Amino acid sequence: MNRFAILHIFFLSILLTSTSTIAQDDVIYPANAAIVSYADLDNLPDWRGLWFPSFGQVGGDEPKLVGEALNIWQSHQIRLREDPNYEIPETTDNCEPDGFPYIMNFPYSLEFLFTPGKVTVIQEALMQVRRIFTDGRPMPVVDEVDQNYFGYSRGYWEDDTLVVRTIGTQPGQRLVRAGITNSKNLVTTERLYLDDKNKDLLHLDFTFEDSDVLAEPWHVTYTYRRDRTWEQIEYICAQNNQHALDAEGQTLVPENIRK
Amino acid sequence: MRKLFSKVFLILLALAIPSAFAHHSFAMFDQTKKVEFTGKVSEIQWTNPHVWIMVDVPGENESLVTWGVEFTSKVHLTRRGFSPTMFSVGDEVTFSVSPYGDGSPGGRFFWVQLADGSFYCDVGAAQRVCQENNSRGELR
Repeated sequence: MNRFAILHIFFLSILLTSTSTIAQDDVIYPANAAIVSYADLDNLPDWRGLWFPSFGQVGGDEPKLVGEALNIWQSHQIRLREDPNYEIPETTDNCEPDGFPYIMNFPYSLEFLFTPGKVTVIQEALMQVRRIFTDGRPMPVVDEVDQNYFGYSRGYWEDDTLVVRTIGTQPGQRLVRAGITNSKNLVTTERLYLDDKNKDLLHLDFTFEDSDVLAEPWHVTYTYRRDRTWEQIEYICAQNNQHALDAEGQTLVPENIRK
Repeated sequence: MRKLFSKVFLILLALAIPSAFAHHSFAMFDQTKKVEFTGKVSEIQWTNPHVWIMVDVPGENESLVTWGVEFTSKVHLTRRGFSPTMFSVGDEVTFSVSPYGDGSPGGRFFWVQLADGSFYCDVGAAQRVCQENNSRGELR
């Protein structure tokens, strides 16, 4: 065996060892198991079809903002009074996803997919995807996760109500209402359930807890109307976004027709 | 047809206000004004996040000014019964738009009269124009 062959085996063994070290720490939870039963899905409520959100908050209460979140909210309101055309900057102005929680409220359809141990939520706008694990896996520790757009969701079924807790969304995402954004400490509880009398009406009750933003938990409720006839339609925001933003996040007239 | 009418109407109701808040605000448009213009379709962009129809409009001294009409997304338009085949390059069309506040030649779609004389309208107040002008009284 020559020297190059020995070196090759040496580096390959390091690579394999490190890979297996990572793999050894992984646990296979039921949602990813090789053998699963789909039979339990028959016991879940029928959420098939597309769900179109009602416009705005239908119930709950008003947020009690604190600290910097209150200052930012007030500064936006002052700007709006001074200039009715002022636009509160949002990530979607630049085709970036809203992330959680506004993924649930964007004015396009939601689709829920049930698979063993997991509920997948697809938001039509920007084709955003959110995964809610219902297979009993533990919630990660907030200080140890990579804060991201959609956070980390764990759920369980309480009769026909899906109860979800979510942590780990990156700071600065829209907290339902334009001008209010979350901190890294946001913990959200959702309860999703069909209306008792109208099975084509879905309720979503949010509870937001974020000590850096809210003086007390903020309860917000939404509803969605079912449509069984449409499919979701492709939405690639980067396909033809012609609106640039100025330094203050205000949308500009497209350059090719700007006066 | 009744079923389609009902379906489109319900979806219009559901989408009427939220569509104005998708993707970006409409603060750049002067929504207190409406501007009408007639010209020939020069380009059709059936895309997301917005559908665009470019129209060459006669200007001063036999010049042509290209106006850009900005619609909502093709997702919303598809659900409202619009399609890219409504327009062909070279069609003479009349648009009504909420103009850009800075005077740029273009604006947010309000209604359009197509080459065949039919009207298609945005949700909300523009619907009255379609109801008054389309003989079959269908929402479009």
